[in-house]
Amino acid sequence: MMNYAIVPHWFAGYNSILEMLFFAITLLVGAYALKIYQLSGQRQHKLFGISFLLISASYLIQSVLNFLSSYSMAGGCNMQTMSSMHTLNIMGIYAHILFFIIGLVTLAYMSLRIKDLKAYFLFAAIAVGTLLASSNKLYFFYVISSILLIYISFFYLRNYLQTKKTNSLIVFIGFLFLLFAKIHFIFSVDHGAFYVVGHLLEFVAYTLILMNLVTVIKRK
Amino acid sequence: MSKKRDKLQIIYDILSVIKEKNGKIKPTNILYKSNLSNQMFSEYMDELIQKGFIVETKANKSKTYSLSQKGFDYLSKYQMIVEFTSSFGLGE
Repeated sequence: MMNYAIVPHWFAGYNSILEMLFFAITLLVGAYALKIYQLSGQRQHKLFGISFLLISASYLIQSVLNFLSSYSMAGGCNMQTMSSMHTLNIMGIYAHILFFIIGLVTLAYMSLRIKDLKAYFLFAAIAVGTLLASSNKLYFFYVISSILLIYISFFYLRNYLQTKKTNSLIVFIGFLFLLFAKIHFIFSVDHGAFYVVGHLLEFVAYTLILMNLVTVIKRK
Repeated sequence: MSKKRDKLQIIYDILSVIKEKNGKIKPTNILYKSNLSNQMFSEYMDELIQKGFIVETKANKSKTYSLSQKGFDYLSKYQMIVEFTSSFGLGE
């Protein structure tokens, strides 16, 4: 069964724009991490880059999907197209969920500093398996994302406490906002207002992450 | 007490030593100046050769090392790599 988040009518279209922005920011961070990997050859940079590219792909899918939904809701499609849209919608949500969860698993795996791919595949299989076996996939997607983000936020808190640098603090707060956003999305399955707040919190999160990247690039 | 060097710093130190000698240096000199144990030194050198940061040249039973373009790039962008690594918690 696939439940949907309730999107307030006035917010349709804006969600797609925000998700396209999240796509651009995560793509930029991921691509930059891979560029650093080319220079450093360090595995952590590669994993971080891959995780952000996966998250970026998930936002691209979500944005396109929401744009098409807004378009069809506005009466731009006939019944046959609406039916195809529904199938496409289901497939798109699955793709979005899979890319995002695997992206977060990759980020969590990177933070554990384990050099064993078997552990990575085990984590990914548990996360994806739990989602596929769940009765309400969207709800469990937000719950599993929140659990992973709690761990990742703690990792960035530890990183800040070790480095005591403003940049590390900005990244920690960014991931904390991302966690709050996912927690809000859990409730968006029943209430539309949480969907909007979730998007706004994500916007703050990615703005902070982008701010850090810009600061790093400017200092080179 | 001096702070323990991280991996990026050790790589920077090794590559800097090679650069100082105009790109031609013997392993014993690098070992002495990089302040590493024999085992650590071998591991780092193997990794740096394998990842294309340095080039090993063998002549008359002796080895010399020089920097590749990737090695020079690493040195010039080191500060940016450190900033990115530290803020996103990517140190090894």
